[in-house]
Amino acid sequence: MIESLVFYFLAFLVIGFAVVVVTSRNIFHSALALTAALSVVAGIFALLGADFLAASQVLVYVGGIMIIMLFVVMLSQQPTDAIRSQSNPQWPFALLFAIAIAAELVQKYRTFFGAVEARPGILPTSAPIGRLLLTEMVIPFEAVSLVLLAALVGAVVFAQDRQESRLP
Amino acid sequence: MLELGPFLSSMIQGGRSWAVSHGVPPIGAQIAIMSMEVGITILLVSLVPMVLVYAERKVSAFMQARLGPMEVGPFGILQTLADGIKLMFKEDVIPEGADRWVHIFAPIIACGPAFVCFAPLPFGKGLTLVDLDTSILFIFAVSGLSTIGIMMGGWGSGNKFSMLGGIRAAAQLVSYEIPRVLSVVPLLMFYGTQSLKGIALAQQARIWGFFPKWFIFYFPIGPIAFIIFLICSVAETNRTPFDIAEAESELVAGFHTEFSGLKFALFFLAEYAYVFLASAMAAALFLGGGDGFGIIPTWISFLMKTFAMSFTFLWFRWTFPRMRVDQLMSFCWKFLLPLALINILLTGAWILFRS
Repeated sequence: MIESLVFYFLAFLVIGFAVVVVTSRNIFHSALALTAALSVVAGIFALLGADFLAASQVLVYVGGIMIIMLFVVMLSQQPTDAIRSQSNPQWPFALLFAIAIAAELVQKYRTFFGAVEARPGILPTSAPIGRLLLTEMVIPFEAVSLVLLAALVGAVVFAQDRQESRLP
Repeated sequence: MLELGPFLSSMIQGGRSWAVSHGVPPIGAQIAIMSMEVGITILLVSLVPMVLVYAERKVSAFMQARLGPMEVGPFGILQTLADGIKLMFKEDVIPEGADRWVHIFAPIIACGPAFVCFAPLPFGKGLTLVDLDTSILFIFAVSGLSTIGIMMGGWGSGNKFSMLGGIRAAAQLVSYEIPRVLSVVPLLMFYGTQSLKGIALAQQARIWGFFPKWFIFYFPIGPIAFIIFLICSVAETNRTPFDIAEAESELVAGFHTEFSGLKFALFFLAEYAYVFLASAMAAALFLGGGDGFGIIPTWISFLMKTFAMSFTFLWFRWTFPRMRVDQLMSFCWKFLLPLALINILLTGAWILFRS
């Protein structure tokens, strides 16, 4: 009872902030609303008993990615940014497309996770996650780390000074 | 006898059974107890910065052969209280070019997470508010939220110095967060738990009957991890020698230039709360937590270690010159990060040979 009330409150907050992200004219406000939405998603994870996932969500998305995003917004601001609309005339089609995808996802998830029972109570999850990552899921885990390494190397290649790279 | 934890819990249990026997519903009694515990923690977080501000002024004064605050109360003890009352009555100025709501919410978002971070700290036997399994990750994650508050302060002021301060703060905090988290990884590998309380308890033993088994004494992995953690904590709290975000000689006061009254006080509360948090974490992670000396109760020994660490923070501030921005970044990425990774490798080798 209380849990579902909290869930609907959090879900309402997520959707509200997400709407602000796409409708706000000020891009810094959009970024802040996205930060808030991602933090509230961590709250939903915590409500489901996924303590490790909730903490990682905040650490990675809010503490890492969103700070970099705000950093970019602060560096690349222009005077017109505050008044220009963030959307273009094609937004009704985009809205239709988004609604179609959302309906599809809801329908698929209902059949896919309908049989899964919610686990009562909060148990520590980090040890089972770690064990799973190093036994059953070790190949996907290593593949993802390889992709991240490639992205890092790519970032270094793009960011390095052209003049310097010509030197022997 | 002098342990605070069992005494408090027996008081709380007694009060609860008394209330329930007098017709209070159990869930109501539970909620009342939880709000009392949260209230005590919030009070602690609000009072500790006052002590630290006084300590900072006195320590800096003695290091510069001055007396520091002497007028209000004996040895100026009430100076911080007087300053706090003064700040409450100051006019709250919002600049005309400011982004109004961002300016209002910035100090709240910078300060709020600091209170939440104190929940999983083990203050001694039976004095952990919430024994979270992922408490270390939780503290790192939640304390990262304060950076958003600092960036909001920098942007929302509508002032180029504040803006530069906010940008510098973001770059610095994101960079130093990485070696800081990696410096704690050896502890997680060594003790096999993420719980701050579990790590503190695992260190409460003696080698040969007298030498404490604190992590800092495990040469070489312990001292290296401790030094990386200490340096990164100083950088995370925006203090000299890493205070480029509020460098007085370059940026007026950086991100909090345009804040007055209680909003300014909230930014300062956050800074000193994080100094205390970092000291408490260092005490719990590397110095054995509440591991006592003889008959000293665990909570007193924990607070003694924490305040000793806080003194180190103050000491750093008044003895080192400020670093340049580029030095700061290259020091983090080219020295601290590889060192932290090497330390993780060494810990792996240690664990391999131990088993």
